[in-house]
Amino acid sequence: MKKKRKYFVIPIMILVAFFICDNIFGGVYIPVKKIFFSLFSGNAGGICETEQNFIRDIIYNFRLPKAITALLAGTGLSLCGLQMQTLFRNPLADPYILGVSASAGLGVALFIMGGSALGINLGSAAFQTFGIAGAAMAGSILLLLLILAVSEKLKDNLSLLIFGIMVSSIASALINLLQYASNESALKMYVVWTLGSFTGLKSSQLLILAVLSVAGIILSVYNIKDLNAIMLGEQYADAAGINTKRVKIRIIVATTLLAGGITAFCGPIGFIGIAVPHIARMIYKDADHKVLIPASAILGGGMTLIADTLSQLPGSGNIIPINTMAALLGIPVIFAIIIKNRA
Amino acid sequence: MENIVEIKSLNLCVKEGKEEKVIFSDINAAACSSQFIALIGANGKGKSTLLKTISGILPNCGGGEILFRNKAIESYGRKERSSLLAFVGANNPRAKNLTVRGVLSINRYYKTNWLGSIKQEDEKRISEALEMVSLAGFEERDSSVLSDGEYQRVTIAGAIAQDTEAIILDEPTAFLDIANRFLITRLLRDIAHKSNKCIIFSTHDLQTAIQMCDKIWVMAGDGFYDDTPEKLMEQDIFNKIFDGQRIVFNRTTRSFEAVNETI
Repeated sequence: MKKKRKYFVIPIMILVAFFICDNIFGGVYIPVKKIFFSLFSGNAGGICETEQNFIRDIIYNFRLPKAITALLAGTGLSLCGLQMQTLFRNPLADPYILGVSASAGLGVALFIMGGSALGINLGSAAFQTFGIAGAAMAGSILLLLLILAVSEKLKDNLSLLIFGIMVSSIASALINLLQYASNESALKMYVVWTLGSFTGLKSSQLLILAVLSVAGIILSVYNIKDLNAIMLGEQYADAAGINTKRVKIRIIVATTLLAGGITAFCGPIGFIGIAVPHIARMIYKDADHKVLIPASAILGGGMTLIADTLSQLPGSGNIIPINTMAALLGIPVIFAIIIKNRA
Repeated sequence: MENIVEIKSLNLCVKEGKEEKVIFSDINAAACSSQFIALIGANGKGKSTLLKTISGILPNCGGGEILFRNKAIESYGRKERSSLLAFVGANNPRAKNLTVRGVLSINRYYKTNWLGSIKQEDEKRISEALEMVSLAGFEERDSSVLSDGEYQRVTIAGAIAQDTEAIILDEPTAFLDIANRFLITRLLRDIAHKSNKCIIFSTHDLQTAIQMCDKIWVMAGDGFYDDTPEKLMEQDIFNKIFDGQRIVFNRTTRSFEAVNETI
């Protein structure tokens, strides 16, 4: 463990570099020099006041919030995925396996399409974005309460897994019904939400997301011992004196809040949560969560930042949805690691 | 020798949905420190259930008492229980890349801080435990690539590292070849005798049990027996294990034989 601590230095430096990159590159091309002068020096080197204000506006109100959102989302989702994979001892588990994205999606679908079906005007854009996040969060919290209520009655983790999948299926079915009944513009709004995005968060929204994510990350760090304890199955942990029921509840609460919060503001971001823990395991070759938790957090943040940067490089014109970008970027990485590890 | 575990008129029960069913009634037995005890019985008699009930992993729902140092096992808190008694289950799953130290530290968790940090004291116990199962220096090895026999020894080392008065093992020698079965049984006997631990394990290998154990607990067709191997043989108890299944116990070879059927 002590030896491995120094291996985090380079990934953290890369993470910082990606964070800066995400602020430098964007839909509008601004030379690095101009960004630097506008942000850090009062009397700019040959840039007029208006241009400076314009650049500051882009960075502070658009790129910086977007980069912070991407960082929080990547970190949080990777931690969720890792904890779900450990809890269910299943490499295919992802942050949404308990039904978080489906129930958040159902909340959003009810808000957008239910409203349109009843002929209610959703009003201003600000109300829409807050309403979407609130509805998604409500869906996730309801799911969390439902899981906590039934988890006492379920025999084992496999039953919990099946329960999550069933919840997802029911939610998807209800969403389909709503889609069938709703009008075109509401449907489009919903589909756009499902594509996932880090953009457009106002500072008040970002604050809520940050509070939720940081709380979730702290809970995840607190779960390290529990996660290590259940690695060899519930029976082994039970025999070693670990309260496996409480462990399960802690992990479920941490992941549902984290995944629910992120889904509420960014939409269902796939792939990152399932892939990053595997990349962390492959790079660090360790099963200890004292290594895997920080590794997944750093790699997850870096992955979303680079995906976000590449999804809107200047000259590419259109913005590629973040889900598409993450998959395009991550899959080669995973293949490369699998092939390298084979030898 | 001090009495560690005492079982008084225990009715072993299992939960089937909401119903509780008694599967074996009136169990009386005792186990002392530095005793090495085998639990013998046919498949489905409830060996695992008995061991898990004694360990406090399954609830004692059928009535009767399980005393640990003259106190009911239920009266101990979770942490206190882990400091008195270690349980090694059958078929322990493995985790990829998990070091042997990582496995054994789970057994030390009840003593560690919120992060589960391993201190020098824990480190020392872990290497001592590994030495006792002749896996000295295996701390950094990846536990998932060990052989079945080695991994079984790692789980036993885990129980030793837990630093308890009793160790209960559910079929520690199943799925092992005859050399490993012998090795592990002898290892457990030595641990019991040298470090004054009370070790109870279930097995189907009666021959080895007769040879090595101080006492044998028998879950027979007509009741529960707790005695030394010699006395059990004298009373012809082993013949009651597979009652009416055309199998007899041969006292000279100390093993079971099929009844010769004349046509």
